[in-house]
Amino acid sequence: MTTTAPPPAPVRSAPALRPSWWERFRNGSAWIVIATVALFIAIWEFFPQTGLVNRVLFPTFSETVAAFFQLLGGGYWWEDLAKTMSAVAIAWVIGCAFGFVMGVVLGTSPFMRQAITPYAIAVQALPKVVLAPLLIGWLGFGAESKIALAVIICFFPVWIDTMVGLALPSANEFKLMKSLRANRWQVFTKLQLPSALPMIMVGVKHALLLAFTGVIVAEILSASDGGLGKLTKEFASQLNMGLVYSVVTIVVILSITLVSIADVIERRVVFWSEESRSRKK
Amino acid sequence: MTTMTQTAPLVRVEGVTKRFGSGDKEMVALSGLNLEVREGEFLSLLGPSGCGKSTALNIMGGLLTASEGTVTFSGEPLTEPSRNIGMMFQQAVMFPWRTTLENVLLPVEIFGEKKKDFIPKAEELLEMVGIRDFRDSYPWQLSGGMQQRAALCRVLLHDPKLLLLDEPFGALDEFTRESMNQELLRLQDYATSTAVLVTHNITEAVFMSDRVAVMSARPGRLVDIIEVPFDRPRRPELQTSTEFIKLVAKARQMLELQ
Ligand SMILES: Nc1ncnc2c1ncn2[C@@H]1O[C@H](COP(=O)(O)OP(=O)(O)OP(=O)(O)O)[C@@H](O)[C@H]1O
Ligand SMILES: [Mg+2]
Repeated sequence: MTTTAPPPAPVRSAPALRPSWWERFRNGSAWIVIATVALFIAIWEFFPQTGLVNRVLFPTFSETVAAFFQLLGGGYWWEDLAKTMSAVAIAWVIGCAFGFVMGVVLGTSPFMRQAITPYAIAVQALPKVVLAPLLIGWLGFGAESKIALAVIICFFPVWIDTMVGLALPSANEFKLMKSLRANRWQVFTKLQLPSALPMIMVGVKHALLLAFTGVIVAEILSASDGGLGKLTKEFASQLNMGLVYSVVTIVVILSITLVSIADVIERRVVFWSEESRSRKK
Repeated sequence: MTTMTQTAPLVRVEGVTKRFGSGDKEMVALSGLNLEVREGEFLSLLGPSGCGKSTALNIMGGLLTASEGTVTFSGEPLTEPSRNIGMMFQQAVMFPWRTTLENVLLPVEIFGEKKKDFIPKAEELLEMVGIRDFRDSYPWQLSGGMQQRAALCRVLLHDPKLLLLDEPFGALDEFTRESMNQELLRLQDYATSTAVLVTHNITEAVFMSDRVAVMSARPGRLVDIIEVPFDRPRRPELQTSTEFIKLVAKARQMLELQ
């Protein structure tokens, strides 16, 4: 954001809500995190060795780390990673586009809203994973069914958030536009769409994680196309739990990375929203 | 008193009735309102809460249509908002994704004109209300009073013939409100436009106006019009003069008699 003029109130230099890691080290709050993580790792390391749980199903921490590096070194899973991520990307883009269009249509036309709301409620209530066998039946075991399931799972929040966001402007804001004789397109582009943007961004972020879920569920269900989901299933059936844990870790790292990137983009795009402002202070 | 030239009024409201809802839920907000706004004057609409002041103003601005009666603006029947009428509401209504300057230039975009042509004028107006330094700040970096100043610049950018102000400073504190009122008088004079101000502050109405139109409680009708003869520019000290206090008392009596 570029602010050339200084804001009047002490808007800027409010103390950071989230102190830096260094400050947290100094005032000691970081040690709590470190201690709990260390304790968790210690339990993970020693509990399987006590014999109370099956060692094969619950490998120790060090065995898991070893498996993780074995996987990283192996390289055979790169193709699976690429397959999963490309399916997520495609499904996410399609889902967001579809959700956005639906949101705009329903958010700007009361008639369409009336007509489609019953279906929307039905779709929302449906645990969409149940459609997976159907989609696999229709589209086969390839990437198509995977993407289709992810699209169906992920478009919904974008749709709803767009629709709700377009209705966010206050009566006074609409009145201002009307008093300037703005036409519908101008009201949409200059008022409704910018107002909706923060909510749309939330939907888009949510959709990203849902697309991920959709793709992996589909991969676990229909293994032939490959992907990280297939990998976990294979490793699990070989009772190689260290590798299963490793894949799960990779998925966690990936989704945290994606969400962080989305967060950064969000803060750039809707820096003016109340949400972003309160986070920045 | 302002010289009473016998020109046609800028706005003529004749027998305007406004009903909201229908059937059992029907509610008469205005009933047979008659009002004339003269060219160049400052008129206040004073009345108890809910008497239909905002409704009357919105009808004059073409935002609402009357159920009965007619409104003419510059002699023409008024059926929709006009570029020559500028409206201000109780909230500043600034878009948080636009800088102050971009907010002031919003009408230019909507009228499909070139922004470049209006930047000097916008800056001049911002300068006049003392917030030129904040042209590139966002509304949420400004105080409520500064936001209303910017809104004032936005509404004056196209030199509207008629300003319709619905308690524009009602949400501000007493101090800010008084200085904003001064600002408003100065700018109205500068822009040589006609102004209609809705308020339920009696002192404010008398201080600002050439005439004060007192309305009855719901359904709103015109009770009487008080002429305010003081010279302009008006200084805050005026408010302690005997004549001023008498006029305020008269207006108060009219409101209470209902
Ligand atoms: N859109 C609407 N639908 C139904 N009733 C309305 C509508 N707008 C206003 N009213 C009603 O009409 C009456 C007059 O409203 P209006 O807002 O004009 O009053 P007001 O004099 O401006 O009051 P205040 O001083 O509180 O702003 C009120 O009783 C209000 O409830
Ligand atoms: Mg009102």
